[in-house]
Amino acid sequence: MTLGSFLLRKTAVAILTMLTVSFLIFLAFEVNVADVAVKVLGQYSTPDQRTAWLAENGYYDPFVIRYLRWLGGFVTGDWGLSTFFRVPITSIVFPRLGASALLAGGALLVIVVFGLGLGILAGMRAGSLLDRVISVFSVITTSIPDFASAVFLSGIFVFWLGLLPGASTMISGFSLRELILPVLVLGLYSMGYLARITRASMVEVMGTHYIRTARLKGANPARIVLRHAMRNALITPVTVIMLQLPWLLSGVIVIEVFYAYKGFGSLLYDAALNQDIYLVEACAMVSVLVVVLSQILSDLIYGWLNPRISLGAKA
Amino acid sequence: MNDLETLSGAPVHPAARRMETDFNAGRMDRRSFLRALSWLGVAVGGASLMPDLAHAQATPKDGGTLRFACQIQEITDPMMSQWIEASNLYRNSLEFLTWVDADNIVRPYLAKAWTPSEDLTFWDFELDERATWSNGDAFTPEDVIFNINRWIAPDSQSSNKTAFAAISGMEKTGDHSVRITLSRPVASLPEQLYSYTCAMVHRDFTGNWPENPVGTGPFALQVIEVGRRAVFTKRPDYWGTPAHLDEIQYIDLGPDVTTHLAALSSGQVDLIYRATIAEYDLMQSLPNIQILSGKSANTVVMRMQVDQAPFDDIRVRKAIQLAANNQQMLDIAYRGKGTIASNYHVSPVQADYFPLPAMARDVEQAKALLAEAGHADGLAIELTLGNTQGKWEQDTAQVLQQNLAEAGIQVKLNVLPATQYWPIWNKVPFGLTYWAHRPLGSMTMDLAYRSGGSWNESHFASPEFDAALDKAMALVDPEARKAAMEDVERILQDSAVMVQAFWSEPMTAAAQNVQGFVLHPSDYYRMDSIWLS
Amino acid sequence: MKILLPYLKKPLVVIGVALSGGWLLVAFLAPILAPYDPLETLQPLARPMATGADGQLFVLGTDMLGRDILSRLIWGARTVVIYSTLATLTAYAFGMLFGLIAGYMGGRIDAALSFAANVVLSFPVLVLYIVIIVLIGASPLNIVIAVTFSSAPAIFRIVRGITMDVASRDYVAAAITQGESTWRILLVDILPNTTGPLAVDFCLRLGYTAITIGTLGFLGLGLPPPTPDWGGMVNEGRAMAIAFPHLVIFPCIAISSLTLGLSLLADGLREVNEAKERQA
Repeated sequence: MTLGSFLLRKTAVAILTMLTVSFLIFLAFEVNVADVAVKVLGQYSTPDQRTAWLAENGYYDPFVIRYLRWLGGFVTGDWGLSTFFRVPITSIVFPRLGASALLAGGALLVIVVFGLGLGILAGMRAGSLLDRVISVFSVITTSIPDFASAVFLSGIFVFWLGLLPGASTMISGFSLRELILPVLVLGLYSMGYLARITRASMVEVMGTHYIRTARLKGANPARIVLRHAMRNALITPVTVIMLQLPWLLSGVIVIEVFYAYKGFGSLLYDAALNQDIYLVEACAMVSVLVVVLSQILSDLIYGWLNPRISLGAKA
Repeated sequence: MNDLETLSGAPVHPAARRMETDFNAGRMDRRSFLRALSWLGVAVGGASLMPDLAHAQATPKDGGTLRFACQIQEITDPMMSQWIEASNLYRNSLEFLTWVDADNIVRPYLAKAWTPSEDLTFWDFELDERATWSNGDAFTPEDVIFNINRWIAPDSQSSNKTAFAAISGMEKTGDHSVRITLSRPVASLPEQLYSYTCAMVHRDFTGNWPENPVGTGPFALQVIEVGRRAVFTKRPDYWGTPAHLDEIQYIDLGPDVTTHLAALSSGQVDLIYRATIAEYDLMQSLPNIQILSGKSANTVVMRMQVDQAPFDDIRVRKAIQLAANNQQMLDIAYRGKGTIASNYHVSPVQADYFPLPAMARDVEQAKALLAEAGHADGLAIELTLGNTQGKWEQDTAQVLQQNLAEAGIQVKLNVLPATQYWPIWNKVPFGLTYWAHRPLGSMTMDLAYRSGGSWNESHFASPEFDAALDKAMALVDPEARKAAMEDVERILQDSAVMVQAFWSEPMTAAAQNVQGFVLHPSDYYRMDSIWLS
Repeated sequence: MKILLPYLKKPLVVIGVALSGGWLLVAFLAPILAPYDPLETLQPLARPMATGADGQLFVLGTDMLGRDILSRLIWGARTVVIYSTLATLTAYAFGMLFGLIAGYMGGRIDAALSFAANVVLSFPVLVLYIVIIVLIGASPLNIVIAVTFSSAPAIFRIVRGITMDVASRDYVAAAITQGESTWRILLVDILPNTTGPLAVDFCLRLGYTAITIGTLGFLGLGLPPPTPDWGGMVNEGRAMAIAFPHLVIFPCIAISSLTLGLSLLADGLREVNEAKERQA
């Protein structure tokens, strides 16, 4: 399969997925018209107001028509007005998504650097003391939920030591210091998992015939790891990293709420608490889109790392 | 001899002379005296009613930006405010006819003087001729009439509609004077005009203030982003004493006060809107902040809708009151940092408080009443709450849940997010609602328990109660008023409308360099007196 | 016993079994083990090992409402263990059923089911939960529904893969020619082959579910109070955590130790499975 046709096929599946998801979301939130009116106009609205509003906004049209109109609006960038924030949804979702990308990017960096680093270190000398220490560390960090580490790390670094800021609103502009704690908490939870996968992969590769041969020939161990083992050992971990992206979208919700970080996760949370249905719909659509795109990306990277496997083959 | 004089120069109201006699004879304390005088627009020695904004020990320093952690909700129309947070945003740019400081004395604001008729049924307000709007217009009687008409219009959704229901007419009597006519005497009218829904908007106001933020106040709105921030800057052309701060930035840090304190502790904000009892120890442990606390009539009311089953049976409501352990709710849910209450929603800090004997807990009698009402084998009810002020609301409800279980009443707690509680607070049959401080018990009674009142969430309706309240509200003399409140309170307590267990002490925290800040019992933050050292 | 032997030789598995089995036991024996009623107000904010006015011993202290933390943790184990197990089991029931069908039938049914699974999997887990809870509210049943909905597709994928693999083997072909019913083939010939990998997945998933229920509790979207719930306990206690660290430390240890136990168990199972495969 060529790259072109691979991308074409993946895109087609992605579009079909998005269409299905959009239909489900629309069905779930807007099939009950009376409910929509209450959520948009509030509990204080009178029945007359609701009826007028529903008529004015075409809510008495057939469901399929409404869905197609909604979908059309979505594709053309007309996502409606947030009932809570009182601004067009597109004007708020994208800056928030950018802020979350920054947070998730930082966390990903921590995960990759520490997860891969620790995994490679442990895998190079399987069974050594270092290996065991790293293994224990990684299994323990994976078992501590992010909200628990957020409570503890804030307790230590904000209240006790007074070293770091306790809220990460970044209202007055970008601040690296405000990013440290959220990134650390997000990274801590996931890096253990990556370290374990990398270690296992590393152990396997280090045990393969050609590495053993290179060792017997007396090649420099660092050189062996860098030249031979790394590339092969990284295939699984990289896939895992890409699979972390959707997880990070979940993880940012807790962390953003905790640190009052104005990102996509806290936006979805606020939208949910305030029954801001148009915003919840948009957030759900965007998060699914992010996941679908990250899947295509991970397939591409996978193919690039492992040329023996043809693109699109079932892995 | 006291040197009584009116703000307007008009003759002193006869009630003021009678109170002076009582005061001089030692039958009235100075504070009640000054306060009651202020309703009548009368000052002692001329100076006591003058604004005392500075609270000054040191000379205030001008300049600087204050960062204020506070939730930013949508603001549209000040008379519709349900959150005091929102009213504090308006307060920077919009002003009130009168101003009531933490000491509960009514002071001139947009109105520089007021004179009631002898029978308290018409009131002449004299407006400050210096007052101008930020668009250059003068503040005129037309503005006052426009605002009050909006409040009391037949289709008005504002709580002001109930609070000012007695207003029967308004008339411009001069370039800067207006006469308000009442259908029944209301002595505390000037004090009520500082309720948080009474901010004066321009006569051309169309319903969405941030779209065209014209105001008479010392600050101008620059930015408001719901859920994020709001920015106000000092107006150099303000008609009164200019503010000290150059800019106020409100920063929305979410609903969690722990995060607010974390931000305060690490210097990201200078002031937080409010802390709760849960953060008390945390605040104590932070070295670089000042803690502000006081007494107020803030409380949570677990009220029952008297027309909804099973609460339409007074025996059930009585049983719930008898089984509730008010002291335990105070001790546990608010860790004793408050004052015990006895289910009638008038507080000792309110000037017209008449102390009723406390209700004793009696689980056996509660059981007996329940059995009589046909619930001998127990009763299952649901209590809805929203933790609008913090988790202590839920803690209070949980203690009540335990208390009532002893009498065989199973309470299911329906805990909603705060933003979802406000839309339904007056709809649920059994709900826990936070009521902010009002300077007078009668103001709360009027809003929350008068038959058909817009904020009457319990649907309590009693002509006897309404009449007693009318009587009390017509009295100026503090002692007479207190005595008249006895009936109001007793009717309410006997009707078993609510479990109202305690008055919570308000508390908040600020950075060390925030000066001139006094905790207002109603959480009304007037920012022009604040400065940074 | 013989089957268990290879597992028990691994110290990590033993720790895993001890931790997760321990919590399971605690959940079952909660009424016997808990020293006090988890809802009863005894004495507010007692420190760990403090003695109450009536001579009660509060091993892990009490919370703000004066409820014994040890008793709440023990009863909370019930909530976590019961709801995560229940939710995971229902997820398994659906995932396995559809996985078997899709893997065995192939063709359009497989394509349709796989597509449906992919659609659900394209929701980030917590996003899906929040959407479901916005729609139907938070209650124990709804949490079970949410977990089922989000976990079943992943189980479906595993079962489908194994089924496709097994269905092509000779003995299944033999069973088909002998005229055995489809259900019998699915349940007797194919299903048992899935237990190894599924056991590993089950442990891990149980751990995630426990964490997710905790996270929902922490976000205030979980089980309504006063149900003892570990995540909710952390959330309730965190404002006071500086002055009274015991309010959050113990629930955190509880949730972490359960997850740790389950992931160690999963690791051990996986290693033994792999060893078996190598032998075979």
